[in-house]
Amino acid sequence: MNPTILAIESSCDETSAAIIKNGKVLNNIIATQSVHEKYGGVVPELASRAHQQNVVPVIAEALNTAGVKKTELDAIAFTRGPGLLGALLVGTSFAKSMAMSLDIPLIEVNHMQAHILAHFIDDPKPSFPFLCLTVSGGHTQLVVVKDYLDMEVIGETQDDAVGEAFDKSAKLLELPYPGGPLIDKYAAEGNADAYDFPDTEMPGLNYSFSGIKTAFMYFLRDQKKKNPDFVQENMNDICASLQKALIRMLMQKLKRASNETGIREIAIAGGVSANTGLRQELDRLAGEKGWNVYVPDFQYCTDNAGMIAIAAHFKYLQGKFSKLDVSPMARMKI
Amino acid sequence: MVHKISPELSITYSSLAEIEVVAKQIIDFSGEDKVWIFDGEMGAGKTTIIKAICNQLGVEDVVNSPTYAIVNEYNNGEGESLYHFDFYRLDDQEEAMEIGATEYFYSGDYCFIEWPSKVRDLLPDKLLKIDISITEDNSRLIEVTRYE
Repeated sequence: MNPTILAIESSCDETSAAIIKNGKVLNNIIATQSVHEKYGGVVPELASRAHQQNVVPVIAEALNTAGVKKTELDAIAFTRGPGLLGALLVGTSFAKSMAMSLDIPLIEVNHMQAHILAHFIDDPKPSFPFLCLTVSGGHTQLVVVKDYLDMEVIGETQDDAVGEAFDKSAKLLELPYPGGPLIDKYAAEGNADAYDFPDTEMPGLNYSFSGIKTAFMYFLRDQKKKNPDFVQENMNDICASLQKALIRMLMQKLKRASNETGIREIAIAGGVSANTGLRQELDRLAGEKGWNVYVPDFQYCTDNAGMIAIAAHFKYLQGKFSKLDVSPMARMKI
Repeated sequence: MVHKISPELSITYSSLAEIEVVAKQIIDFSGEDKVWIFDGEMGAGKTTIIKAICNQLGVEDVVNSPTYAIVNEYNNGEGESLYHFDFYRLDDQEEAMEIGATEYFYSGDYCFIEWPSKVRDLLPDKLLKIDISITEDNSRLIEVTRYE
């Protein structure tokens, strides 16, 4: 079986389409100004209307650049959840209509599974079982991946996602939203031991990032009382220290999960995978613990249809198709 | 949000250990109000108090921050839905309209709303307003007001 599949992602802010053929992702189109310049219009964010405006151009672009005709498709895949219901509905409805009109199978994909399966788009690929830490603006999850479609969540955040902790801390520093990448940038120039932030203790393998946000707010308030220019004068050190604390919290549970399961194949996924501090710490731990560490190409870390395509490929091989009455799920478990 | 109804409820707490009791006091005070708005600076504990309120209302799902997802839906175990919003990332009210915010607000289900200032004109008149502020010694002062 060498299926050609069109995949659509519309779970939150990005509208994206990708084509996969024989298990190889041919392209990964994300709605951007350049796609729109071709077809006219602008790129609004977030709203379902934006997805409605984006969905046809990104699919057309995906088919065109892959040189694939609609009639050559073997299946249509879409993100069923989790995500924003109105946004998911756009991709779901489009995929259903297209599958029905072409009379080909429909494949629903779980967005969180897809983030993990992005590791199978390019080499090197982790071997089963492996541990995946999915870190993004909306999610922080530790998952044991036993097979392509057999995964178990063993820990997750009980409040804020780590990407949100980065972004909101950046906001407290009066950096523009989303400021996570800026914290990473300033941190590179700073002293990570300049300030100490306490870890939040959570039972088992779960995470909590709400406490450090509040601790950080107190810290800034108290320092600014002593010196109103504290933030401007110490931006690099503040960012480096905060980033160190957030990464330490991520790594504590990852190390514990590796110890408890005996798994040393370690993968990270999601937008925060781009954080250089996180990558450096993983490299260090790889040496110290004998881990094999896997990080996907950046275009497959943030929300994208390439990862939906690879997930759909494995579902196609196992004959896991959806009925046409399938509806999106805002909250969907792995 | 036209008429303020007296009396108001005012609670101060200094430890997270007290939060379930505080949540219960707010629920007892809320009467029939289903739309609750939460005001307080970032880090004041809006999501934390909503977590405790959901727990008191029988929610077994993980109550986490909806900043990224905009809205989380929970179930109370009796088939009833509760909605938890965070409009922090929205740029204008039109975006909230497009995700069907008003349909949730007028659904009769519980709606807990963080950053309500972003959807000011879409809110119903009848609502419960919860203000959370941080005192000098890092305690929390919660003031609850009913409007109709």
